[in-house]
Amino acid sequence: MIGELLLQSESAMAIQNSVNYVWVLVVCFLIFFMQPGFALLESGQVRAKNVGNVLMKNMTDWTVGVLVFFLVGAGVTAISGALTTSGAELSIESAMPWLGEVGSTTFIGWLFGAVFAMTAATIVSGAVAERMNFKAYVFFAAVMTAIIYPVMPGFAWGNNGLLTAGGYLGDAIGVGYIDFAGATVVHMCGGIAGLVAAYMVGPRKGRYDENGNSQPIPGHSMLLAVLGTLILAFGWYGFNVGTQATVLSAGADGAFTFNGTALGLVALNTTLGMGAGGVAAMLVSTFWQGKPDPLWTANGLLAGLVGVTGAVSSVTWWGAVLIGLVVGALVLPTFRWTVDSLKIDDVCGVFAVHGGAGAIGTIMIPLVATSGTGGTFAYEFLGFDQLAMQIVGVLVIAAWTIITTMITLKIADALFGLRVSDEEEDIGLDQGEHGVSVYPEFTGDGAPEPSPTVTADGGDDVRTDGGRPTDATEDTE
Amino acid sequence: MSESDIEMIVAVIRPDKLGDVKQSLAEIGAPSLTVTNVSGRGSQPSKTGQWRGEEYVVDLHQKVKVECVVAEIPAEDVVEAIKEGAHTGEKGDGKIFVLPVESATQIRTGKEGVEAV
Repeated sequence: MIGELLLQSESAMAIQNSVNYVWVLVVCFLIFFMQPGFALLESGQVRAKNVGNVLMKNMTDWTVGVLVFFLVGAGVTAISGALTTSGAELSIESAMPWLGEVGSTTFIGWLFGAVFAMTAATIVSGAVAERMNFKAYVFFAAVMTAIIYPVMPGFAWGNNGLLTAGGYLGDAIGVGYIDFAGATVVHMCGGIAGLVAAYMVGPRKGRYDENGNSQPIPGHSMLLAVLGTLILAFGWYGFNVGTQATVLSAGADGAFTFNGTALGLVALNTTLGMGAGGVAAMLVSTFWQGKPDPLWTANGLLAGLVGVTGAVSSVTWWGAVLIGLVVGALVLPTFRWTVDSLKIDDVCGVFAVHGGAGAIGTIMIPLVATSGTGGTFAYEFLGFDQLAMQIVGVLVIAAWTIITTMITLKIADALFGLRVSDEEEDIGLDQGEHGVSVYPEFTGDGAPEPSPTVTADGGDDVRTDGGRPTDATEDTE
Repeated sequence: MSESDIEMIVAVIRPDKLGDVKQSLAEIGAPSLTVTNVSGRGSQPSKTGQWRGEEYVVDLHQKVKVECVVAEIPAEDVVEAIKEGAHTGEKGDGKIFVLPVESATQIRTGKEGVEAV
């Protein structure tokens, strides 16, 4: 009888894991699809001469990033969590996915972590577009996925870590930090790293006039930017709803429970936050500029998503709307403040969209929270301890990101130089860094060999000195 | 009239008037034309563009340049047809120029002069 129960329980576990981990794999692929979204969003906001460079940065932080995150980053996450929790056991062997014993879900779990890490890394390229040295960027992307980002989930997520209930800070305040899918852990980390990087690299040539007033440098395709935004939003469903990784739970008696309520709340709040962010930004842009602006609306939609990303599992539906409205409305003023007051040339507004929105949305969680998923979703204030913890968490993540980004870029500056030359900035990074043209117009005749010397009159080579070539054997006295 | 009796009519018009101009040129029997997207400045006042809340001045307006080369059809008729097709009465309607053409050669047949046109 007991043996039968155990057997039943074992197959129930197998079914549970199959359903949950296939779901996790599917959302990994969805989150990966945020990469083309970022590539389009950033490409559209730069001039045509720098599109190839933006695409290279987006591809490189993925390709280099996954390798670095496998070898180093994932381990850093586990180690930074264990080191900042009292009594936690530190095991290097189990921290590295390629070192310790491999369970049935080890590699799936690694991929799930990796797609989040690459999202944080790719945000930065939008801030430093059109003037950063490619080598310095690749170096930064590698450090970002090896150390800067991985420490954040180590601190805030999982069973231990500085900001969790068991960590040193969480223990001191009495509650754990709430950031469900990474509004601050992923997005604010990327947004602030971008802001610091844009500051250190310096503004693009011509971005500020001699009086320090900003001059607009319009991007080359709003179509690409908006299309990228919507593709990002699609991938975001994986980012948020996928973080609700447990779809099916098996009890000890082999009975299954479907976690539809939790999944539904996350899906609903993600959608409402996105809508509210877009509407608020559209209204603010209308008020500010006189007409509703597509790019601001797109930025607001993303800011709404960032804002609710930490909150989706624990706030009321109207809380998600409120967060979306607040962060969406703040996108335009935050961007203007970055550019006009801080004088930082954040090309794609990544601080306004990812940094500011992530911080505000996450701090607002205790104010609009729900008591639980018991079918009522009644409002509940989570208390001042929780509010304090949210603020402390945001500050810790911001401080870590600022300090490590500055150190990394100082090293990159010494090794490679942060900026391309003035001349290269003029001709564009596509030509300068990669020798390509993303929008070639007239090309040669396609001959694999260089065409024979072309002369204006069809005769001998025309020389600029007006002379004629002489036969080398001829006596030229 | 130039010596070769061939003339080129160059017109800079509003992009949205291209369809009307093509229609009116076809009606007078001069359907051949070359079209280019161009930017230019004339009497049309500059407008302001906006990028992320920052305004910038656009004084080179998007126009379409139409080039027609005619021999037997009088250039005045072509000018009249383009004028009718492209006219709105607002600043920025564009200009029409007539230039003499020294020679013409049809690439396919090798015909020269009036026959080539």
